Amino acid sequence: MEHLSLLGLNHTTAPLEVREQLVFDSAQMHDALARFHADFPDGELVLLSTCNRLELYSVRPGNGGGKTGEISSLEAWPARLTHWLAGVRSVPPALFAQRLYHKTSAQAVEHLFNVAASLDSMVLGEAQILGQVRAAYDASREVKSAGRLLHPLFQRAVAVGKDVQTRTSLGDGRLSVASVAVDFARRIFDHFADKTVLCIGAGKMSSLVLRHFANLGPGKLIVCNRDLAKAENLSRQFNGSAADLQNLPELLASADIVVSGTGSARPIITRTMFDAVMKKRRYRPVFVIDIALPRDVEASVGEADNVYLYNLDDLQETVAKTLSQRKQAVDSAGKIVNEHLRQFLLAARAREIGPAIDQLYKRYHAVGQEELARTLSKFNGITAEQKAEVEELVRRLVNKILHDPVRTLRQNEALHGLTGQYLHAMEMLFNLEGVGEEKAEDVPPEADQSKFSG
Amino acid sequence: MANLPEIVPNSLEITGLLCSAGLLAASVAASATKRRSASFALGSAAIALGVAVLIGHSMARGDWLPLDDNFDALGFLGILLAAAVLYIQFARPVGGLDWFVLPISAFMLIEAAIFGRTVPHQYAETAWSWTHRLTAYTGALALAVAGAVGAMYLVALRRLRSKNLNASTSLGSLERLESIAQYSLAIGWPLFTVGLITGLLWGIHRQAILGNSQPVFFAPKILLAVGVWIAFALALHTPINPSFRGRKAAALSLVGLLLVAATLIVVQFMPEASH
Repeated sequence: MEHLSLLGLNHTTAPLEVREQLVFDSAQMHDALARFHADFPDGELVLLSTCNRLELYSVRPGNGGGKTGEISSLEAWPARLTHWLAGVRSVPPALFAQRLYHKTSAQAVEHLFNVAASLDSMVLGEAQILGQVRAAYDASREVKSAGRLLHPLFQRAVAVGKDVQTRTSLGDGRLSVASVAVDFARRIFDHFADKTVLCIGAGKMSSLVLRHFANLGPGKLIVCNRDLAKAENLSRQFNGSAADLQNLPELLASADIVVSGTGSARPIITRTMFDAVMKKRRYRPVFVIDIALPRDVEASVGEADNVYLYNLDDLQETVAKTLSQRKQAVDSAGKIVNEHLRQFLLAARAREIGPAIDQLYKRYHAVGQEELARTLSKFNGITAEQKAEVEELVRRLVNKILHDPVRTLRQNEALHGLTGQYLHAMEMLFNLEGVGEEKAEDVPPEADQSKFSG
Repeated sequence: MANLPEIVPNSLEITGLLCSAGLLAASVAASATKRRSASFALGSAAIALGVAVLIGHSMARGDWLPLDDNFDALGFLGILLAAAVLYIQFARPVGGLDWFVLPISAFMLIEAAIFGRTVPHQYAETAWSWTHRLTAYTGALALAVAGAVGAMYLVALRRLRSKNLNASTSLGSLERLESIAQYSLAIGWPLFTVGLITGLLWGIHRQAILGNSQPVFFAPKILLAVGVWIAFALALHTPINPSFRGRKAAALSLVGLLLVAATLIVVQFMPEASH
């Protein structure tokens, strides 16, 4: 486990100018992974590249080598990897070396789980990161640059992300006024292909909100403005049509979603106007978003049946509630991450020390059997029952002697990060050979696949 | 039909239906905590158990009377409703539909367990009476769905009015809820109308045979059924009078649902002759 290393930078440590020079698209990522696999055949690498972070989760080659130089110690590996990365991206190491963070063992695992759970994201709880973690792992699987350690690690990381998404409200809600408006629209309408979106005003904010509604694929999109040229200009961007503000009552009668953001000093949509409009549209529901300041729509319009009026404050308040709700969910998400971390570390240690324990038992039972045979050969006329009793005695004796050290190895959580040292000590003290030399290809990529479900 | 032996539901059958209702309640609880797979599994188990009870009961009697006695009718329709809800939630989920409709299903199963009679009704021998029971039961079932969806509409509307987007569960769009309610009404109301008319005719006929002086029109069951009919008739006519659309139609459907529940309960306490 102590061979596991994380080297990375993110939005908190590196500015955009640095991050943009290190970003990998899918093809570049595959090339880089293949190059790593060629340079360090017994190393492992998963490369997580998003617009906010570049992280290299690697397993240091254990044989102290690699084609391009000696990597004999944990301390040397980050520097080696930094130079390797600079070479792959053709940028000087000095550009980003100071921006890097480096973590190993349990800290690296914890960091990855936090990333997958979106606890380390710029926008807390955003859902894309989980897909990006999964894509990074998939790329490594394809290139075969993930091995014995990174397979279970990333499978578990994806499980952590899914668990947090389903069991907490960390990812619930939206964080922009325009997307909140779209969410409200989805609570009113089931489908949009037969709906008409009317945008009153052709300003920047209207354009932004309109872009979100255009993505819903409405049947008709109309931009209405005093200056018809501006309306035409904006409507062209969304394959809509333009109309003059003078036709507002007729336009309102046909519109299902109204986005109003003019610079008018007084309301341009009054209750009297809207009562007539509602009768004309046979009381079909209408969603009105007033993003103007001062407001374009009289507040009393929202009191009418089947009219859903939201102003800028309403939408911003929802955004604020979402933020607050996400912050409240951080504790629950953290508990889930910690539980997964504990389970993963225990499983990882069991994987590492399992063969050693197995060998230890085999060796000392063999010693016991050897001594038993020597002793039994000195007795004549011993019955089968007596022989079985003595054999059982020796077996129990060996098990009892080994019980305490083995239990300590298996259960003591204080051993995090020290497993390698303990294994080495065991090899030396008990004269064990070839402990923990399980090969990467012995572990199937889907070894921890069950974690994906649920 | 009249010579069928009377089989009282045994304690195992009653326990089975009550457990089935309990499983439906657990399914709703699982859905509320966003455990969709568990909710689906529990709902499926409830349906399987309910079906097993009905099969066992029918085998003991030697015949299946899906609508001829209250035990079979309420159990069968309750299970059918639960299956329909599970199918919708599996195929194209409507957030919260199971919360609102599965309790009705559970209520019917509990009612079957408590009040279920296994003696075929005395009037179960003519085509008229068959028509009455088939249309009245299925119509009431469809109207109950409309009422439950109306309740969902009111809750969703309240959330929209209070500008609450952060509620833990979305209840589906108002447009879809309105559409489901209208479809249910379009199916349920005509059936219920036929059920009401044939029931009234049968009541008048029975009154003449028995020489009963009590006017059949003022029986509590008939009055409640007429109330149901009026409430849903008003809700159904929103396409003609769109000012009823939305909140008013949903509120009327909810009133109708309460009247349907009251009718189902009242009918259990009426003497057989008044059925």
